[in-house]
Amino acid sequence: MENIRGRSRPIKVDKLTKIYASGKIRVTALKEVSLEFEEGLFAAVTGASGSGKSTLLNLLGGLDTPTSGTIEVKGRKISEMGKYELALYRRYGAGMIFQSFNLISSRTALENVELPLVFSGVPKKERRERAEEMLNKVGLSTRLTHRPFELSGGEQQRVAIARALVNRPQVLLADEPTGNLDSRTSREIVELLAGLNRSQGLTVIMVSHEEALAAEFAQKTIRLRDGRVLAEEMAG
Amino acid sequence: MRLADHIQLSFSNLWKSKLRTFLTTFGVTIGIGALVSLISFGRGMQKNVTESFKALELFNSITVLPGGFMSERERHDPDERRPTNPPSGQEQTILDEKAEEKIAALKGVDMIFPEIRIPALVKFNGKEEFRLIQVIPAKVAASKLVKFRAGKAYSSDDENSLIISASLLRQFNIRDAQPVPGKTIVISSIAFNFFALNPGDLTAALRGEKLPFALENYELTIAGVAENLAFGGPTPIQSDIFIPPGTARKMKRLPFSSIWDLFRAQEGRLGYSALNVRLSSPRYVEPVKKEISAMGFETFALADQFQDIQRGFLVLDMILLAVGMIAIVVASLGIINTMVMSILERYNEIGIMKAVGASDGDIKTIFFFESSAIGLLGGFFGLALGGVTSGVINRIVNYFLAKQGVPFINYFSFPFWVCAGAVVFSVAVSLVSGIYPAWRAARVDPVEALRHD
Repeated sequence: MENIRGRSRPIKVDKLTKIYASGKIRVTALKEVSLEFEEGLFAAVTGASGSGKSTLLNLLGGLDTPTSGTIEVKGRKISEMGKYELALYRRYGAGMIFQSFNLISSRTALENVELPLVFSGVPKKERRERAEEMLNKVGLSTRLTHRPFELSGGEQQRVAIARALVNRPQVLLADEPTGNLDSRTSREIVELLAGLNRSQGLTVIMVSHEEALAAEFAQKTIRLRDGRVLAEEMAG
Repeated sequence: MRLADHIQLSFSNLWKSKLRTFLTTFGVTIGIGALVSLISFGRGMQKNVTESFKALELFNSITVLPGGFMSERERHDPDERRPTNPPSGQEQTILDEKAEEKIAALKGVDMIFPEIRIPALVKFNGKEEFRLIQVIPAKVAASKLVKFRAGKAYSSDDENSLIISASLLRQFNIRDAQPVPGKTIVISSIAFNFFALNPGDLTAALRGEKLPFALENYELTIAGVAENLAFGGPTPIQSDIFIPPGTARKMKRLPFSSIWDLFRAQEGRLGYSALNVRLSSPRYVEPVKKEISAMGFETFALADQFQDIQRGFLVLDMILLAVGMIAIVVASLGIINTMVMSILERYNEIGIMKAVGASDGDIKTIFFFESSAIGLLGGFFGLALGGVTSGVINRIVNYFLAKQGVPFINYFSFPFWVCAGAVVFSVAVSLVSGIYPAWRAARVDPVEALRHD
């Protein structure tokens, strides 16, 4: 993971195309999208439903593979990685959070945060310490042993953020992180992301349909429509 | 992923669906239990027979049969009938005292005694039973070939005493053998009585009436009560009553005990129907057999038969294994079903694990560990179930056989390899059952799984 964790470089997306095929039906989710994200940037990807935002994020997170085009993260083309390399990239290179939080309901907050470390082979004691530290950072030091259904939506998303960051990735990919939250909690979560971006130099790419909130915190906003980049705007 | 985490994760996942895990494990338990019981039964049978063979020294026994006309083997298998002429240089092949002396002089022969059985009525405790009394020398009766429940063997070949089996005593309604030695028993042999033949009415004799036979009564003392043989096999010492040769000689009796004796008598070659030869070691079996065959006699060694018996046991093992495997296949299908259900229930969880960095290999291993945990638990519980079931069956069978005078026997044998093999096999079957579910879980598309609720 030396070159993933090593000297940081921007994330480059070049002519990225993703076509979903189901029988004879072919749906083009992304069409020749080219983008660049500087290190330490808080970027927002906005657009209407079906514009290709989540597809872009899934491709950046190594959850999916492109039909054509390349994605380069810190000098390595993840679009050319095999399944195992992609798993390592998801483990160490990119943390992801989702609209529906995607926590394992039968596990406590602490156990959910520990999960990436389990796959990294980190010993139990160290795992626990690091997970506790992350939960403290996101303000959940008193909720360690609570299960997801015992937490509010905002708290669940904080657990998800702690889990995404526990393996110290260089980029945090947030797919509609405020989609299931009320406006006050949404703001708190975006503020938390912005704070992590500022304090740790963490690159954050957030997909959101809330353009106002995105514009308020993001340094760069990318608008997608029908799988194409409609506009790229730098804040200020 | 660390081994400890795999183990902890698999057991905690199984614990989440307690009832399903219990039912699936119970299926494996029944399968392994059935397999263990059946294999241990096959092993037990083989062990009992082998140990009986060893205890009775049957591996160093040879039975010598008269050569030529209708030997013992030919009686059973007409295809093996050989020419009736004795080997060149041999005048005749009568199994008589001369032959006995010649065979006794061969290297490796430890003991030899003729096969003599006398048909007789045995009267004791107010009851009568018909039996073939076997004549065995005092030396043989005192050897470990005969086990005593009470009393001991007669001390000389001329002693006016006998050995009775515990099972015959039961026929006389006597269950406690201890007070029996020293008591008197009446043996009635059948002998010719030519005075009874009426030359004026030979037609009656031809019709089977008024035959010139009479019962001769002899009072003998019971020296010992022999233990019943549960797995005696074709042992040369097998009768309900044994008497010494000197006593037998004093008895008036017919010079034949079977129709085959009559055939040989007709040819003037009566002799003994067989000679039982005991060797000092099994290594003498082949050379002694060769020399006896050269004398023109037929030989029969149980050591040769034992190989056939072992082949028979192998077939029995295979049949029992096949029956047990049916239960294992059913249990295996149960594991596959449980694991596939588990994938559907944990579809989202698999997506989450992949999203946080689990590789396809990690997912496969998690599922393999879960299926093998079921196998491990099922293996141990199955072993326990097999042990308990076998124990119960053993007690029931022994309870009923004890009523017939058969001593207690362990019909099931649990060698270490059966116990260890059962658990290893259970885990192996579970691993094989886990292949498809693990492969399917590893192929889950994380994007789709993360959308799934």
